[in-house]
Amino acid sequence: MKYILPDKLPTTVVGSYPRFPEAKKALKLKKDRYSNKEIIEELIRSAIRRVVEDYLEAGIDIISDGEQRREDMAVFFAENIKGFKISGWVRVFDNVYYRKPIIAGRVKWTHEITVKDWKFASTISRGRPVKVTLTGPYTMYDWSYDEYYGDKKEAILDLANALRKEVEHLIATGAKYIQIDEPALSTHAEKEDIGIEKEALEIIFQGINAKRVVHICYGKLERLFPDILDFPVDQFDLEMKNSNFRLLSILKEYSYDKELGLGVIDVHNTRIESVDEIMKDIMKGLEIVPPEKLYVKPDCGLKRLPRDVALAKLKNMVIAAKKVREELQ
Amino acid sequence: MELYSGICGSYPRPPELRKAIDRYEKGYITKEELNSVYLKSLRMIIEIQERAGLNIISSGLLMWDDLLRPFAKGLEGIKLDGLLRFFDNNFYYRVPVIVDKIRRKKPIVLSEAKNLAKHTTRLKKLVLPGPFTFIQLSRNEYYSSMRSLADDILDALVDEIKDLAKFIDFLQIDEPSLVDSEIPIDNRKEGVNLVNELVSRIDIPRDKIIVATYFHLDEQCYQILLNLKTGLHIDMISTPRKAFNALKEYGFKGDLISLGLVDSRNIKVENVEKIANKAYDILDEIHAKAVIFSTNTWLDYIPFENARSKVEVLGKLLQIMRGEVT
Repeated sequence: MKYILPDKLPTTVVGSYPRFPEAKKALKLKKDRYSNKEIIEELIRSAIRRVVEDYLEAGIDIISDGEQRREDMAVFFAENIKGFKISGWVRVFDNVYYRKPIIAGRVKWTHEITVKDWKFASTISRGRPVKVTLTGPYTMYDWSYDEYYGDKKEAILDLANALRKEVEHLIATGAKYIQIDEPALSTHAEKEDIGIEKEALEIIFQGINAKRVVHICYGKLERLFPDILDFPVDQFDLEMKNSNFRLLSILKEYSYDKELGLGVIDVHNTRIESVDEIMKDIMKGLEIVPPEKLYVKPDCGLKRLPRDVALAKLKNMVIAAKKVREELQ
Repeated sequence: MELYSGICGSYPRPPELRKAIDRYEKGYITKEELNSVYLKSLRMIIEIQERAGLNIISSGLLMWDDLLRPFAKGLEGIKLDGLLRFFDNNFYYRVPVIVDKIRRKKPIVLSEAKNLAKHTTRLKKLVLPGPFTFIQLSRNEYYSSMRSLADDILDALVDEIKDLAKFIDFLQIDEPSLVDSEIPIDNRKEGVNLVNELVSRIDIPRDKIIVATYFHLDEQCYQILLNLKTGLHIDMISTPRKAFNALKEYGFKGDLISLGLVDSRNIKVENVEKIANKAYDILDEIHAKAVIFSTNTWLDYIPFENARSKVEVLGKLLQIMRGEVT
């Protein structure tokens, strides 16, 4: 089935979706090594199917697999890339904890990590493109305890090489949208880190025939500009709503001309943004880039929201994008 | 020179407390049941600190969701908004939004101070968020001038400190924003004045107050910090060379300095002799009446299971520095 993307203001998601009970059960079973692997796979497929159904119901143009297989964005890759171990639980906020990875040896790609779920989501997406999200090398390093390298750059470039292998497999399978998630990038003020990330992205994306996206959120994003503007990517996917679009004036100042993924949905808040409110926010983005370059999407992954709230937010977002598109005609 | 050893701020929540908080939030257990798990956890982490040989014992801030939260929730005039990253960590705090006049109607961490006092006979330390960092990390939607906002926050903190002073021996005032190099230097100088104003209004001796900074230190930051009329905690791990150069260049002539020498953002257990050598190098550069050996920041950034070995390093470090072992 072929799906024609709107040429203006395509809607998309950042990656994660609230975890369905099937996915929760699968994660639980996975911890028991005697569990039946095929049952786990069936549970994950079932969860992905429900995610895709929600996206289709909302009318999202470029969807994801909802990251239903992932315990969280760092642990999932750490469990699948050689060289990592996993530590105990570390707090992220309030009473929410994650298992922080440890880099205990040289990092190496050994097997496909995301290809299976991308493939499955693609078969049920009714032609809509499925974006793959990979936790970026900078974030993987920053959110792990480094007990092996002791040299940030060396570790990050090794991680980039591992992800490059994954990207090659994704491209060979037919993926057209690759997003590298780098939430940690905006948390450090050191300018040399931006240079390391640029080198890492060159490794990951060089010669790749796909939409190259980098997602960044919830830090002092302004400190990254203008340095990141020459990253080898087509699109920056940015959190905006939560920080009241303060970044837009900076993008304007630097004559931003890449594609822009504009966060118009606050994923840390259960209040459902109204269609009018989202339309106004989309208009703010249109002051920076033309509608052909503006992707409408939530600030970040939706996993922390209740599913009905996530779905309601997406529905309003799609209606708002459609209305603005009509106004632009 | 008096030598002490104690953790900087929090201790990771024990697994049973994490679970109890979850169950309380879901309505499965009562507040009293949660409180009894809390007290058990508090006793456990006090015992861990005592067994390791620390002579300053902290409450571990076990119920704090972030540095600002008890006050953001406990003071009137503040509501909580979305999450924002806490400096350069993969840890988020909820942004306090000031929507009305700030008033302290009831004590906020007094019961924590009392519980700490009840369960240890050693020296006791409690943490409060500093006024400058509180203002920097909050969003003001009510006050028309920063001065009037600062006045009300100072009033609230002064009242809180008056209530809890008799239960503690050391007061730690956390001010990481004072070393945030992205905040204009003049603002941070004002921040130092604000902290000095706070301590001028309370009865705790200046050499029993520690203004804690972490995540960064360089010469410029350090120069500003030297105007504090209190003890000072500095992070010797996050920017080690810059921090050491700052000490070398400007020394320290105050009464109390707390040196964050044990890395509480990494699980790797340090070689205590190496840290002791570093400590000797630092002591050559400073002239303080009292020194506390500490973690660089809160222990919240490592798992509960790894925190004990960090505390043990601190205990051994104190022994070595006192010449009790070679």
